[in-house]
Amino acid sequence: MRNPPPYMVLMMSTAPEAAQAPVATNAATAAARAVAAVKEYGRGATSVRAVDGITLELARGRFTAIMGPSGSGKSTLLHCMAGLDRLTEGSTYIGDVELGSLSDKELTLLRRAKVGFIFQTFNLVPTLDALDNIVLPLTIAGRKPDQAALDEVVRITGLGDRLSHRPAELSGGQQQRVAAARALVSRPEIIFADEPTGNLDSRASAELLDFLGHAVTDLGQTIAMVTHDPLAASHADRVVFLADGRVVEEMASPTADGILDVMRHLGG
Amino acid sequence: MVKVGLRSLLTHKLRLLLTTLAIVVGVASVTGTFILTDTINSTFNRIFQDANAGVAVTVQGHQLRGSGDDIGGPAHAPVPRSLLGTVRGVTGVKDAVGILQRNGATFIGSDGKPLGGNGPPTFGTNWVADAELSPFHLREGAAPSSSDDVVIDALTASKHHVVVGQHILIAFLGGAEEQFLVRGIASFGGSDSLGGATFAIFTEATAERVLDGQNMYTRINVSAVSGTADTDLRDRIAATLPSYAEAQTGQQAAAAAEQSTEATISTFIGTPLLVFAFIFLFVGSFLIVNTFNILIAQRTRELALLRVLGATRRQVLASVLLEASLTGLFASGVGVLAGILVASGLTALIGSPAGTTLALQPRSFIIGIVVGTVVTVGATMIPARRATRVPPVAALREALPETQGLPRRRIASGAVVLVLGWIAIGVALSGATGVTLQLLGGGVLAVFIGVALLAPLLVRPLALVLGWPVRRARGAAGLLAGENARRNPRRTALTSAALMIGLALVTSVAVLTASFRASADAAISGALRGDYIVFARGPAFSPQVADALRSDQRLADVSELRVSDILIGSSSQSLVAIDPASENRTLTFETVSGDVGSISQLNTAILDKGEAASSKVHVGDTVTITFPTGPDLRVRVGGIYNTNALASGYIVSLATLAPHVSMQRDFTVLANAAPGVTVADGESALKSDLSHFPLVMAMSRSEYRDFVGTQIDSLLNLVTGLLLLAIIIAVLGIINTLALSVLERTREIGLLRALGMTRGQTRSMVRWESVIIALLGAVLGLVVGVTLGVALVNALYSLGIDHLAIPFGNMLQYAVIAALFGVAAAVFPSIRASRLDVLQAISTE
Repeated sequence: MRNPPPYMVLMMSTAPEAAQAPVATNAATAAARAVAAVKEYGRGATSVRAVDGITLELARGRFTAIMGPSGSGKSTLLHCMAGLDRLTEGSTYIGDVELGSLSDKELTLLRRAKVGFIFQTFNLVPTLDALDNIVLPLTIAGRKPDQAALDEVVRITGLGDRLSHRPAELSGGQQQRVAAARALVSRPEIIFADEPTGNLDSRASAELLDFLGHAVTDLGQTIAMVTHDPLAASHADRVVFLADGRVVEEMASPTADGILDVMRHLGG
Repeated sequence: MVKVGLRSLLTHKLRLLLTTLAIVVGVASVTGTFILTDTINSTFNRIFQDANAGVAVTVQGHQLRGSGDDIGGPAHAPVPRSLLGTVRGVTGVKDAVGILQRNGATFIGSDGKPLGGNGPPTFGTNWVADAELSPFHLREGAAPSSSDDVVIDALTASKHHVVVGQHILIAFLGGAEEQFLVRGIASFGGSDSLGGATFAIFTEATAERVLDGQNMYTRINVSAVSGTADTDLRDRIAATLPSYAEAQTGQQAAAAAEQSTEATISTFIGTPLLVFAFIFLFVGSFLIVNTFNILIAQRTRELALLRVLGATRRQVLASVLLEASLTGLFASGVGVLAGILVASGLTALIGSPAGTTLALQPRSFIIGIVVGTVVTVGATMIPARRATRVPPVAALREALPETQGLPRRRIASGAVVLVLGWIAIGVALSGATGVTLQLLGGGVLAVFIGVALLAPLLVRPLALVLGWPVRRARGAAGLLAGENARRNPRRTALTSAALMIGLALVTSVAVLTASFRASADAAISGALRGDYIVFARGPAFSPQVADALRSDQRLADVSELRVSDILIGSSSQSLVAIDPASENRTLTFETVSGDVGSISQLNTAILDKGEAASSKVHVGDTVTITFPTGPDLRVRVGGIYNTNALASGYIVSLATLAPHVSMQRDFTVLANAAPGVTVADGESALKSDLSHFPLVMAMSRSEYRDFVGTQIDSLLNLVTGLLLLAIIIAVLGIINTLALSVLERTREIGLLRALGMTRGQTRSMVRWESVIIALLGAVLGLVVGVTLGVALVNALYSLGIDHLAIPFGNMLQYAVIAALFGVAAAVFPSIRASRLDVLQAISTE
């Protein structure tokens, strides 16, 4: 990949959150962390450990892909790190905030302020047009969108002429770009993307990944993406491989071929 | 396919619960009404049978024409006492007794207030020694023997704790109150009383005096010597009777009483309750259409899959209709059982004697089950037909685009139904046809259906307007609430249309009563010149009331309005007589044509313009008036007067009336304060003069206006109370729609929660959607209701409702209440929405 080193991006970034972020400690440079995270479903003999003691840091301003075969626990890990689900043991952090100790309301407010989401099935609100969908997190928070930031997001997603359309009037690729713009517009601490290209054709996938890449390089956005598509993962700065709920392999500046090798090795 | 229908029913049984409830309420009302009226009728029938058990023949005057149906039998003219001797002389007569029974002998409690309600009559009658010929049987004490003895009915005795040996005051419309000694307590026809009526039973001489018997009997009851058939005896007696009297067997009299009682019960209880039951079912059918519509929309893929697997349209239709039939049957079954509870509750409420058993006829249950099932299946036909149009390919599509806009055909049919409805209402209200009430009901129904069909067109713009303040006040939750209310216009329209029906009916009645009140106010101000008005609820009263006031120096211009039952041709009417000098002093009549002042001439009448128009009588015509007893009167019509608040129909002078009636009865007395006496002093003088006449009410002019207003308002309150149930059914519909919508939007709500929407915001979103739906129903209901009300008011112009008043205060109140109902309806669905597990919601298929 031809991306500049992530710390360079961080230093060049003009994003306010990044500028205010403390840089002194290791913990502070991680946008999100999991420490000895365990997620167990069921009890006793029938219990399943979907996440089995994972410790992972997602560095600020970097694009991390999480890969693994089906049932490797990658989606569960993402949900727990995003504050959508709670761990059985261990802890997860967004910035300095430990999620396990938060009430539902506090978690909700934290997601609202610091987390963005992109889903496989787009998940746009069908009654709202593209623009309203993009600014929805801000509307929910009762904030006015920063017009300049909004213009920039709209510009790089190329949705300028589609803003007044409702989701039903948009193609899959356009819908996912609206979802991506929605995740980005509030400039969250971190964006979690769960199989964002799963429902897109190859061209739309390439456009979306390109856009996510720009968000990281140009805006200093932190992104964590769960995917099983090696091509998609090759857009990331770093790939983390999971199997049976554990981190089994890691790769920096990955290529599609390199990823495929590891995947074959893992039997996925 | 049967299995598919059954499975679907069981899976959705919770969702169908609320729909079922709507049918249960409707069916319970239908069945309950039938059971109630059957029970009342059978109770009365037993009493009439028992009361007439020993009576072979009854002799009465001719049935009063147009006397109307009454509990206890149609009214007959009395017969002279001298007839008793004639009847006794007929061969085969074992015994014959004369019975005098008049309404207007009221027990007065120790607090000076009448015992017994304002509705049921308060009879006075004479004790008949021959137990076989008397409906009364002593339970305690003895028969009346001296002039100040009375026997009272068992109901009054137990209700007001009256015991044998105590003294009791009785007020008579024929005169002032008197004190009596309670000698005994008696049953009537084996029951405590007849309906809620009270009975005061005196010696014959006392009855004749206090009831102003005029040497007449209400009827003569005859028993037969053994071996004589009732019918033979009747024919033999009839042969000896003068032309004004007629003979019936005891069985005929009982049957006539049963028939007229049943007709009265049906008019005043059965029919009104059935109308409300019908309204409940109509509102309920909206719920069914909506619920099945939503369920079928949610099952589109399942239905399409069935089509892919080879199910025919007929099979899909059959599976949906099977589900509807079972739902309808189940709900109707619960409904008829609830109907028994409704009937027993109402029976207790109307004060039936303890131990009354409900008359449970198979007919009540069959009608309930059939009506409930037919309504359910009928209402499901629309969504069921939609289910058959689901193409097989829908199974393969990701999601069906939601229907935008309305097909032209639907708009056209909605408009046609609406216009036809208004035409029907117009024709019905113009009085051009005989079937006016049915036509009016059908027209109103068509208007509701037409508005419901067109309402989806209004949902988007109206929801936008209603949602605007919500958007401003509630941010994202408000924005989404408004959008959700607009996203499926048909669903929202149908949900609010159910609410519209109840509100429209309440509003139209409110317009009607407000107009009625305004008209009454204006009419009273126009007609009543006196400072005071004295009147009785129920029958007219004795001239002693006016005499008592005349002797008081603090009052002036005491003027009575006398009344007499008359026949003009074959129509039974009331003739009013006034003192011509009272014109402009205590009352006034406005001339339309001729000269209203001509009433001061002997044998001259004036007539109100409504009656003049309908009977085609003009100034200068001569009219023959027939009296129950006295000689006929031929009057010249001297003038036509405008509709008046105090009197209607033919009016003559007191002098013209006097030779034709033996019994003088007044229905109103007017008076002024004497010169130099303040209105307040005059009023207290008036009230103390009348303290011995507890049955008459005395009021100042302004008190009277308020009194009439209160009477009118109580009608509104009664109707509103009953229609509240229709509104509550509609609220069930809102709950149902919201609950199903929340379920449908699980993913979306999960997403919003993931994006940082708090539980409070989620609840707020559902709540405001509900409020917008409710307000939509309120706006539609108020508009339709005002239009209907205005149409009704215009149609009733001839009845004296000549002022139109729109009760804006009430309407605002209804809108606020609708909004609050919206908030209440959202409680359960909004909690459900806010408790959705975010992760599950997002990953749900």
